[in-house]
Amino acid sequence: MKCGGMMKRRRFLTMLLTFLGSITSLSFAYSLLTFLTSLPSKSADLKKLVIHKSDIPSGEAKNIIYHNAPAVIINRPDKGYIAFSRTCTHLGCLVEYSKSKLKFICPCHAGIYDLDGNVVSGPPPKPLTAIPLKIEDETIIIG
Amino acid sequence: MLTQIKTWLDERIGIKTIFQEQVLDYRMPKNSNILYTLGFLAVIAFATQVFTGIILMIYYIPHPDHAFRSVQDIMTRVPYGWLFRQMHAVGSNLMIMVAMLHMATVFLMGNYKRPRELTWVGGGLLLILTIVFGLSGYLLPWTQLSYWATTVVTSIPATFPVFGETISQILRGGDHVSETTLSRFFALHISILPPLYLLLLGIHLFFVNRIGISATPFGKVDEEKRPLTEYIRKTHPDGYPYYPRFFQKQMYMMMAFFTVMFFIITFLPTLYFPDEANVPADPFNTPQEIRPAWYLIANYQLLKLIPNKFFGIVLQINLVFIFILWPFLDTQQEKNVMKRPVLRGVFFTLIALWVVLFWWGRA
Amino acid sequence: MRTIIRYGVLSAWILLMLLPSPGTAGYKKAFEDEFLTKPWAGEQIEENLCISCHASQKMQPEFQEITEAWQASWHAQNRISCEHCHGGDPRDAALGMSRARGFLGTPKGKEVPEFCGKCHIGIMVNYLESGHGKALKAGGKAPNCVVCHGSHNIQKASINIISEQLCTKCHSYERAKIMKVALFVIEKRIAQIEQRLQDLKREGIYTGAEGMSLFSTQAEFRTLFHTVDVNLVRNRTDEFISKLDQIDKNIEDAHQKLSFRKNLSAFFMMAFASMGIIIFLLTKIKDE
Repeated sequence: MKCGGMMKRRRFLTMLLTFLGSITSLSFAYSLLTFLTSLPSKSADLKKLVIHKSDIPSGEAKNIIYHNAPAVIINRPDKGYIAFSRTCTHLGCLVEYSKSKLKFICPCHAGIYDLDGNVVSGPPPKPLTAIPLKIEDETIIIG
Repeated sequence: MLTQIKTWLDERIGIKTIFQEQVLDYRMPKNSNILYTLGFLAVIAFATQVFTGIILMIYYIPHPDHAFRSVQDIMTRVPYGWLFRQMHAVGSNLMIMVAMLHMATVFLMGNYKRPRELTWVGGGLLLILTIVFGLSGYLLPWTQLSYWATTVVTSIPATFPVFGETISQILRGGDHVSETTLSRFFALHISILPPLYLLLLGIHLFFVNRIGISATPFGKVDEEKRPLTEYIRKTHPDGYPYYPRFFQKQMYMMMAFFTVMFFIITFLPTLYFPDEANVPADPFNTPQEIRPAWYLIANYQLLKLIPNKFFGIVLQINLVFIFILWPFLDTQQEKNVMKRPVLRGVFFTLIALWVVLFWWGRA
Repeated sequence: MRTIIRYGVLSAWILLMLLPSPGTAGYKKAFEDEFLTKPWAGEQIEENLCISCHASQKMQPEFQEITEAWQASWHAQNRISCEHCHGGDPRDAALGMSRARGFLGTPKGKEVPEFCGKCHIGIMVNYLESGHGKALKAGGKAPNCVVCHGSHNIQKASINIISEQLCTKCHSYERAKIMKVALFVIEKRIAQIEQRLQDLKREGIYTGAEGMSLFSTQAEFRTLFHTVDVNLVRNRTDEFISKLDQIDKNIEDAHQKLSFRKNLSAFFMMAFASMGIIIFLLTKIKDE
């Protein structure tokens, strides 16, 4: 027969245990639930970049910032406007447009892309990421 | 409500009898100590790994182009992803440590002796499976550390003449570690090893229960009478009931386990993540220091020291055999390690050697 | 009988384990020598005939120095080798240096900008518009790329290339010093941010976007060096500072995140520790 003091102590400790156990389990359950139900946010800043056609003559390219990352829009002599991320798909250096060669060149490991973004030579494993753009009259809307 | 469910189940499967036999009337030896909870801890550690592993699988992508980034996303963008990833990484190391402690204490208490030889063999195989789990999981984040440590480990079989190279090729799926390696290690880690492990664990626990808990040789001597000509389940009528005392011990040791885990996650989050573990794998760039995980460093160091590599590997394989088959090699009746100075000496010398090799390999 | 069998099996096993070892001691000797001490299996080393010839003993010592200098360079670490700048074919011993394979030889002083500008386009453009570039093309004394950066032992660019020793070869250090001061603040800030991003990565927060932003800011900033135009640098300093401030702010946010993580795991640790202590205390409450 447990004496009164022991019983009270035991009751108290058990209650404390249950309390702590519930807090811990609930915290875990909450983290797990948030983990499982979080959906990737639709691209945070839907800011579209607007450029005038006149800013980019034929054969020229313009460096821009799109979604916090460096990008380039180029007016190809034969096929018109196209925009790419300037991040080289090899190790992330920034590619530069060479007007004389009509190619994009990465200075880090001499990767070369053509004006469709496809790899012509060098180590890049994938083509440059294209950025969608729309042309409306005299303006180009990027994004 | 609860009693109604209990009665319902009892009418169908006799659950009350099971509960009575296995929990309420189950008696632990009088002189059992806290170290008897280590096996349970290993199971808890495994359960944690399975749980966190399944959670991580939801966001992880097992292809070299995406693996590293998916782990980055888990750590940075998925809410509480970092929590489960840290638990999984720290937990894997803790599990191996717990398994090793369990093995060492069982050894010291002589609980591998007749009639418990198969339990020990099962346990040894479980330890090996755990290490294979660790090795296969190591590659998955596809970091410099992962890639090159895996390169080293998969090239070790190549020292064997004749079929060594083939074994290495099969392990890697080719000449180098590549996306083929990643796929097969991932398959190994999540679908081949878990059922094998569970099977072995089930057998191991069945043996423990069926043969009966052994008493420690310390304190009042409890002898397994020889010769053992028929099966008798070991019981401890003068011991104490499993529930509540031993159950409580298991519970607070489990709390201690998680306390250690979260201590490491809070104060030492980079303990298992050196700089090479934060950089994506680059097959063309070997880091200066390639080292396997801590639990293999002693073995690695030993291999480096022995000049004849074939002999070195053969030696280690033989050591593993001796370790797993130890109950068949040590058939002396005396369980009390305090009365066996030679065994004690050898055991502690081996531990000391392991520690020395470990420190040396780390330097 | 049983003991004989036992010993027989044991000795057979030991023999089996030991005998092949001396037999295989020389097996794949190269492997033995390099076992566990050298990068192997995964590392794919490409044969470069340019280096093989130019580094050999038969070459004049000046040429041997070139390959050594290149080995120590930042280009070498990024696997940019001879053919990337000089053309030619590193895999063909006979035609390695022929015009047919695009071999360019050594550029003359005036042509060095275009030589390096094959890859470093933006910098070449800035350089050619600068005082230095114009002077070079006009035929006068002026530093081309190689004068400041070296030709083969090229290291990662740093602000310390602007130095008294290098710049006073042609004019007083005053102008260069002003330039260096103007660039210094931002350079230091960039270095700090780079370090903070490294630390964050170590703690488990991967800052891909900030890293890219820093890289592009740094690249844009670095091109200013070659214009040698102090006013341009001063005008654009604010613009760069604000970009860097933005990155710093994101880093601050990341640190907040890290604090939250530490607090949460500390909470879990305390919870488990307390529960453990409580259960332990419960065991001490004597039953019956």
